[in-house]
Amino acid sequence: MTRKLLAVSVLCAALLLSAVPLVAHHSFAAEYDNNKPIKFTGKVTKVEWLNPHIYVYLDVTDSGKTTNYAVEGGAPNGLFRQGWRKDTLKIGDSISVEGFLAKDGSNTVNARTWLLPDGTKVFAGNTEDGGPASRNQ
Amino acid sequence: MFRAFALAFCLIATSVAASPQWLNYPDPRIPRTADGKPDLTARAPKLPDGTPDFSGIWRAPTGKYLENLGADGIEIQMQPWAERLYKERQENNQKDRPGGRCLPHSVTDFDGHFTPRKIIQQPGLIVMLFESYHSYRQIFTDGRQLPQEREPAWFGYSIGKWDGDTLVVDTAGVSESTWLDDIGHPHSDALHIVERFRRPDFGHMQLVVTIDDPKAYKKPWTARIGWELMPDTDLLDWVCENEKDFLRLKGN
Repeated sequence: MTRKLLAVSVLCAALLLSAVPLVAHHSFAAEYDNNKPIKFTGKVTKVEWLNPHIYVYLDVTDSGKTTNYAVEGGAPNGLFRQGWRKDTLKIGDSISVEGFLAKDGSNTVNARTWLLPDGTKVFAGNTEDGGPASRNQ
Repeated sequence: MFRAFALAFCLIATSVAASPQWLNYPDPRIPRTADGKPDLTARAPKLPDGTPDFSGIWRAPTGKYLENLGADGIEIQMQPWAERLYKERQENNQKDRPGGRCLPHSVTDFDGHFTPRKIIQQPGLIVMLFESYHSYRQIFTDGRQLPQEREPAWFGYSIGKWDGDTLVVDTAGVSESTWLDDIGHPHSDALHIVERFRRPDFGHMQLVVTIDDPKAYKKPWTARIGWELMPDTDLLDWVCENEKDFLRLKGN
């Protein structure tokens, strides 16, 4: 049922809402390295739906080792207006992320694309933070 | 038929889901087309005394001018110190942009911003409430002059006068800590901003912004920004409560 609701939300967003830019209060280039693209799939451990950016924390298991990544997304208000909600992603959901690692060496990622296992894109929108455009937008 | 059904379904679904924050809240003052949609090309409204009415929620359609107020290739001749500072900001990835510390935008970068702002208009005063950073600006239209003695203020001091249907806003006293745009055009304490607002129809605002700052620029320069009305909605809350980026921002 949840998935159906999500699919309806996605459909509605695609049907009705124009791509509203998402806010970035900081410069992309000052924090993230566009020479360090990263792509992984993980399970949601925490969602922070707060200004100035949402953060989704993901446990990513690779070769038996699990790493928790902090994944930064757009601003909640821009996402909210596009139809996304704080419970669009739930604890334990699987999500694939494409983005760029922070320059400081931490497991912090600026996401440009979020995909559910069935390929549905969530949190889609234009980011006008000077960072590389998402490949799929 | 399917599209009509989908549209009706989605409108109901989203309005129900969003009702706590009035995201979709029909405004009876907005003229409608035959199918009930806001008529954004209808005649611009006026107050009973004939003054143009700018009330509503507005935004710039893109972040182009927020990013760079000179985005249209305007000739901008900087004084040497301003050019050095501008280049330094480029080389440092704009890491010191006030927004990076969750400080609000100021006059011109909010003019170019794509997030909503509400204009509230009353005799003698126009107020802009900016959703981002939970900020506001007051433009006095009661005939007062700019204060002679003034402390630097983040949004400066603004007075407005009507020139026909155009509101001409003079602003001075803007703190030098603010940037004119995200790319980092600087300014001095001599900055004088003239904004000319005109609402040609119900759904659009023309905004011509002139930067006159002889200490920073060899001659005044002008940007032309358009705003669009956001009908049937309202501002959302916005407080910078979960800032995590600042300590990670790095220059070169």
